[in-house]
Amino acid sequence: MKVLVVGAGLAGLTAATDLAARGVDVQVLEARDRVGGRMHGIEVAQDDWADAGAAYLGERHTELLALMAETDLKAVPTAMEGASRFALTAPDATAPDARSVPGRFPPLSGVALGELFDLLDEVTRTVRVDAPWLTPDAERLDSITAAEWAEENLRHPDARLFFPLFLGEMMAAAPADVSVLHMAFYLRSGGGLRYLNAFAGGAQESRIDGGAHRLCEVLAARLGDRVRLGEPVLAVEQDGDGVTVRTAGGAHRGDAVIVAVPPVLADRIGFRPALPEPRSSDRTAPGCAVKVHLIHPSPLWREMGLSGWSVSSDGPLLSTVDDSPPGGVGVLTGFVTGEEAKRYAALPLAEQRAAAVAQAALLFPGLPEPIGFHVTNWLDEPYSRGCYAALFGPGDWIAQGPGLTRPHGRVHWAGTETSTEFFGLMEGAIRSGRRAAAEAAHDHPTSGSAL
Amino acid sequence: MSADDIVEIFRRVLETDDITADSDFFLLGGDSLLGTRVLSAVARTRGVELSFEDLLDAPTPDALAKKIAGVTR
Ligand SMILES: Cc1cc2nc3c(=O)[nH]c(=O)nc-3n(C[C@H](O)[C@H](O)[C@H](O)COP(=O)(O)OP(=O)(O)OC[C@H]3O[C@@H](n4cnc5c(N)ncnc54)[C@H](O)[C@@H]3O)c2cc1C
Repeated sequence: MKVLVVGAGLAGLTAATDLAARGVDVQVLEARDRVGGRMHGIEVAQDDWADAGAAYLGERHTELLALMAETDLKAVPTAMEGASRFALTAPDATAPDARSVPGRFPPLSGVALGELFDLLDEVTRTVRVDAPWLTPDAERLDSITAAEWAEENLRHPDARLFFPLFLGEMMAAAPADVSVLHMAFYLRSGGGLRYLNAFAGGAQESRIDGGAHRLCEVLAARLGDRVRLGEPVLAVEQDGDGVTVRTAGGAHRGDAVIVAVPPVLADRIGFRPALPEPRSSDRTAPGCAVKVHLIHPSPLWREMGLSGWSVSSDGPLLSTVDDSPPGGVGVLTGFVTGEEAKRYAALPLAEQRAAAVAQAALLFPGLPEPIGFHVTNWLDEPYSRGCYAALFGPGDWIAQGPGLTRPHGRVHWAGTETSTEFFGLMEGAIRSGRRAAAEAAHDHPTSGSAL
Repeated sequence: MSADDIVEIFRRVLETDDITADSDFFLLGGDSLLGTRVLSAVARTRGVELSFEDLLDAPTPDALAKKIAGVTR
């Protein structure tokens, strides 16, 4: 038996690893000239790596932690000591003004934020996380955007100010891009509001030592020449006794195929016979995140008693985190998400740099010019179209949800967007790869190896 | 608002029954996000707007009940 895998992100590599362990012949076809997909490292100083894509994990990410243990990768805790900085101004205010606050609590009305979180918790609880389209009231929740929901439900200006920042942090979404059903599903799938929001004891508890991309590199190295780079898949054709996958470079034959790419990209592949329904719609937003890294000789903000955590209502850096490798250079990661990401991504590099450096100096007074500056723009990555993950807009869950994991003959589906557990995260990608591998092995057990 | 009422709020927000009048919210897994939900519950039932610092300062149902009584007196 031979299984072809489209995409060498974490989902595809996990599926291929599982199948290889079962003695199945596998071939992974990856469009890019690197593995890892949305997990990507940049070397910001000699032997010091920053995560340009996925970075954080927590103890509930059990499959990820098991895979890390098995591949000898360690978790490093995210440092969070010291005060936070907040620059939160109402849209009509004049000069932004940053202030220090102990802990991570923004200097806004606690009661107003509590009301916001009560409302979010309430809608999150109603979701059928294993099948969001079966949620009571799914039709209504899937027909309105999070922006409309906020307009209707949030009274206090502080709640209105904070909600888009919170959604940007959680899912890189602009409220107008996601349905309420998707927002609620995402928050529930990831472990609930508190878990997703927390560093210590939450989903941002640690990072992978040396960079998240290393996990994919180790898996790919083990698979060896079973992973082929620079092979964008264009078409998947099934007939009576197998499947042919066509890439720019040639054709590959197998008994089954696992397509492990984001929904928007799966829809660009030509399937014969055609898919019964598309996997995305024109309301499916690709997610909008730009990650910025400011490199300093050491984490200078710690000397000022600051943790590196900041939240700003004016961009470009809507939040910052200290991602410095232990004992290495200082890495201040800036997140540019939602609408701000679209605007920032369009600027020339020099302007991106000037805006980020100026903002960092306002947030961390006395912070000098960085010794290194990196921008990773996920909006324009032709082979990602979904970051952190695809954002399902109004109607998407009801129309496409039930089909996301349903095999199409010999075609099986993986990718973090096909996992209802930890959707959008590395953990979801692994779980999806495991499921798809088990499915493919089960459905095509006795077929002979195709040569 | 009695300490018992606040015990109920802590139970709901922290999702555990293991709360008594001298349980510390932050030692039982409460963080700032969950803390705001205690503040909104107090505001809803008692009409008192506490700040997050008030909860840091009075993190047990007992202490918080006294603080609320102090504000409303
Ligand atoms: C900026 C950013 C921050 C993030 N932060 C976190 C975080 O902190 N924690 C966390 O858990 N997750 C985070 N994520 C999400 C995480 O990266 C993803 O959930 C996970 O990596 C998805 O893996 P995947 O294999 O499903 O998809 P991908 O990584 O997208 O893999 C798909 C692969 O398929 C390839 N491909 C696409 N089309 C084709 C084609 N036609 N033919 C062949 N190959 C193709 C792509 O090149 C890619 O390698 C973040 C993502 C981003 C972008």
